[in-house]
Amino acid sequence: MTLADETRISATAAAPHQSKVRRRSFLGLLLRRPNAAAGFVLLGATAIIAALAGVIYPTDPLDMVGQPFLWPGHDPEFPLGTDMLGRDIAAGIFHGARVSLLIGSVATLVAVVIGVGIGTLTGYYSGWVDRWLMRVTELFQTIPPFLFALAVVAVLQPSIKTIVAAIGITSWPSLARLVRAEVLRLRNSEMVHAAVGIGATDARIILLHILPNAIAPVIVSASIMVATAILTESSLAFLGLGDPNVVSWGTMVGAGREVLRTDWYVATIPGIAIIFVVLGLNLLGDGLNDALDPKQNRR
Amino acid sequence: MVAVVVGIAIINFFLLQLAPGDAAQVLAGEAGSATPEYMAALRKQFGLDQPLYVQFGRYIGNVLTFDLGFSFRHGMKVSDLILGRLPATLLLMSASIGLAAILGVAAGFIAARNAGRLTDTIISSVALLFYATPVFWIGLMLIVVFSVWLDLLPVGGMTAIEAGYTGFALAADIARHMVLPSVTLGLFYLAVYARLTRAAMLEVMTQDYVRTAVAKGVRPYRVALHHVLRNALLPIVTMLGLQIGSVLGGAVLVETIFSWPGLGRLAFEALFQRDLNLLLGILICSSVVVVVVNLLVDIIYTLLDPRIETI
Amino acid sequence: MFTKPSLLTAAMVVASGLMSEAIAETPRRGGTLVAIVQPEPVTITAGTNVAAPTQFVSGNIFDGLVTYGIDLQPKPALAESWDVAPDGKTITFRLRKGVTWHDGKPFTSADVKWTLENIWKTIHPRNKAVFLEVSQVDTPDEHTVVLRLNRPSLPILSTINASGAQILPKHLYEGTDFLTSPWNNKPIGTGPFVFKEWSKGNHIILERNPNYWDKERPYLDRIIFKVIPDAAARSAALEKGDAHYAAFSPVPLKDAERLAALPNLKIETRGYEWLSPLLYFDLNVDNAYLKDVRVRRAIAHAIDRNAIAKRVWYGFGKPAVSPIPSTVKQFHTADVPKYEFDPKRAEALLDEAGFKRGANGVRFTISHDFLPYGDDYRRTGEYLKQALKRVGIEVNIRAQDGAAFIKRIYADRDFDISSSWNGAFPDPQIGITRMYWSGWVGKATPWTNGSGYRNPEIDKLIEQTAVSSDPAQRVKLFHQFQKTAQTDLPTIPLIELRFFSVHSSNLRDLTVYGDQIYASLKNAWFAEPPK
Repeated sequence: MTLADETRISATAAAPHQSKVRRRSFLGLLLRRPNAAAGFVLLGATAIIAALAGVIYPTDPLDMVGQPFLWPGHDPEFPLGTDMLGRDIAAGIFHGARVSLLIGSVATLVAVVIGVGIGTLTGYYSGWVDRWLMRVTELFQTIPPFLFALAVVAVLQPSIKTIVAAIGITSWPSLARLVRAEVLRLRNSEMVHAAVGIGATDARIILLHILPNAIAPVIVSASIMVATAILTESSLAFLGLGDPNVVSWGTMVGAGREVLRTDWYVATIPGIAIIFVVLGLNLLGDGLNDALDPKQNRR
Repeated sequence: MVAVVVGIAIINFFLLQLAPGDAAQVLAGEAGSATPEYMAALRKQFGLDQPLYVQFGRYIGNVLTFDLGFSFRHGMKVSDLILGRLPATLLLMSASIGLAAILGVAAGFIAARNAGRLTDTIISSVALLFYATPVFWIGLMLIVVFSVWLDLLPVGGMTAIEAGYTGFALAADIARHMVLPSVTLGLFYLAVYARLTRAAMLEVMTQDYVRTAVAKGVRPYRVALHHVLRNALLPIVTMLGLQIGSVLGGAVLVETIFSWPGLGRLAFEALFQRDLNLLLGILICSSVVVVVVNLLVDIIYTLLDPRIETI
Repeated sequence: MFTKPSLLTAAMVVASGLMSEAIAETPRRGGTLVAIVQPEPVTITAGTNVAAPTQFVSGNIFDGLVTYGIDLQPKPALAESWDVAPDGKTITFRLRKGVTWHDGKPFTSADVKWTLENIWKTIHPRNKAVFLEVSQVDTPDEHTVVLRLNRPSLPILSTINASGAQILPKHLYEGTDFLTSPWNNKPIGTGPFVFKEWSKGNHIILERNPNYWDKERPYLDRIIFKVIPDAAARSAALEKGDAHYAAFSPVPLKDAERLAALPNLKIETRGYEWLSPLLYFDLNVDNAYLKDVRVRRAIAHAIDRNAIAKRVWYGFGKPAVSPIPSTVKQFHTADVPKYEFDPKRAEALLDEAGFKRGANGVRFTISHDFLPYGDDYRRTGEYLKQALKRVGIEVNIRAQDGAAFIKRIYADRDFDISSSWNGAFPDPQIGITRMYWSGWVGKATPWTNGSGYRNPEIDKLIEQTAVSSDPAQRVKLFHQFQKTAQTDLPTIPLIELRFFSVHSSNLRDLTVYGDQIYASLKNAWFAEPPK
């Protein structure tokens, strides 16, 4: 379902690449591609909005400060209008940026830690470790991820912590398979054989030789997983499972759902924000993919 | 296979045990009024008054003997409930996956052939937009535009029962009702397939054997179709496999918005109703589908490219 | 050819138009009504299930002894007449003759007796208490039922419609386990519509009963209840005419305004009089802060009930001053301690109670669990959070699903403030007193005494009104009940909810009864054939 799988598949279709990435001109390489540049801009804008939230809108975005249902542009004090309880939508967008980015990144971090961990272990070791961990991965993969996340949040009751946990523990399987494939490939490389030859410990081999080279597709996947996490959070909020004590773009869309026919801006404005961030992350992921794949760089 | 099923059963059991409240409380709550006697009667009926290990033992026993059990809430056997909703789910799944795969691969094909030019940019941008827009948003927007404003398509449901169609007219009516939900569910994957096809084709186009074919004078279109696309199909097949596995979860939103009587919504409701047997039944069916599909994908993989050893 | 109509022809056209209007007032036979039922009912026999969707459907399949008019006066249904002995200990019902069940068997007093003894007095959630005093049911002949009571129980007369006390066919249920009977999902009743089919997740179909005892009725040929889970989709269906009728505020409240303006739809707020719903906050009186009555009163002063009615509920509510809503005219009184919106007074009371503002402006933190039945209750909770923030109380809103909510509030009592609504019904004994009676504490029964209030004085009042045979005395006792309840304030009544129905303008005589939403659609007819 995720583009993480897409990149994994493209990555495995490529020929084996060199062990070192040219770090010096990496950023330059990245930004030269129009995809990545556009992604950077969108993400940068979001990050700036999130950072400035406390400065421009220092009060609680949940405060009911204005007349309800003020349309955007009608009142200079509320440039993006107010929602059904008179809350400032612009304040919600600014503070929501923080929450959405936070949920997206932390959930992805959780998934990356679990996924890389399990993927490395199953890729490096064969035998029962591999078999049992693969069973677990398969198990988690057969349960539809959205339904699983929904179930976890419903059971633990919705709050930022539980949403992050739910998304994190349901999105690691595909990353684990990706890492496993990479580690399997690298385990048989000359570099690793040499290291084993000179008596390096497993941990050293994994940490110094394998992981740094396997990391490229993980980074690409991670950027897209953040986007997916934000989309999942908004879907959960749409179904009524958002954290009721914070303003996130997802909860704003969920609240606006009921007035979609009359005051559609309440759901549309945060919806557009979500689209922008998801776009930005995907473009960045595309760009990272292109930049990190030396075959493309040769062209 | 068995291990997976038992694993799912265990996760399901403990998940619902962790969830506060039981099925009796759900029913009593919905009933709007209750007495302790009523709740005790319900608990006895559902077998909830037994100690935990007895419930668990009975539960696993049922699973291993393929007895999906009884849904007390619905008053029906779980297998009947699932079979009742299965056709709707299969219809929605095949329509959305078919739409996504066929249109997506076609779009990616065209984009790859026109790489770097305007057509490519347009297709890629539109694909990206479909990917980034939340599913529920697309669904609601489609209803407003096509159903209310333009009055071209029905708002929801599977068929207009009041019209009493049969035979061919019924099929046509169901097809009409299926358009919006499958488009909504399929747009996301359409984007995925388009981008994937494009990327994979571009990848393959730089391979030696393709350059050989071009050098040999094979027409570009033939090259694209027979050499490039066929080999680019590998990742697409994998994606297809993954999509089939996850479409049940994604369908929850679409089935809710369009009132489509599928298994996704049933699972969602079963969770809230603490209907252990029903939820498990659906999860098991879903996992069987996933495992079977994974196997098929592996087989197709080796058929497409004998060099590949499935991991 | 087409010439401009002369004045005469114009007049004739107008006249015939008026005439067809007049003719249209005579009910037309025919048409299939498409209604929306949400959420899908668990069962369609209201034997033990008093949930709204169940009764919405069931009221068409079954009849009750009476129905209630808009003025809440009982009208004959299966009972042609009835009387209560002066000492209140005997109630006699004379049943209608010639009524048959949908399977052809005759309806007799044996059915009433069986249902009362085996359902109402045993497992029916509300009726167990209401019919508690019935010691014996006599059936001197096939059309007479005599209830003999130990002590009077006047509330009985307020709850004997198809929803409150549904009569079931003895010949199908006798000797079986009611809860697992297959007849619950393919019911046989005496009502104007016969059950045809239930496709789970999809629809329920009822067809006209050709042998209905109310000759000529029903006018509709069929009713199809469709299940549409999404509110926006329901709105669209009604707008397009794909559905003709939906009840219980089926569309988002804000949409109701928009739909009301459309020529093909009408918004109806009548039909809920029997229900008289009341929205309230339960305050857990065992909580360290809330056990002080001054804190509870402060919270009441901090909330603007007008704002809740206007902003949160878009005007579909009226601020409540007492736990018995003003629509229950017989028992309601406004002569109770009032808690006007006055944040300063709230702050003063909190200071007085010893909870001063801390360094960050916060006095203390409590949690709020809102009724998980829709966004309206969530928004009420969000309003509460902001209103209490103003007076220095920090509120942490908790969201959960129905089962978790029930367990948390009624079983574990692990909450501080919760929101909920109860139907008051024409007699507070049916729906309201259970919010205050201490006997429910510790019984883990949903929708009873969430606050944990224990006051022997109120208990005595409740027990007296249950068995008094003197209507005037009961009124006095209930007035006292309201005064005490509002003085101690374990529960804060918020607003009297106005639920509404949406229906096609083409549909006539839809709302005839005060319990219309639970009664049958036997009077409804289409002025023009639906599309």
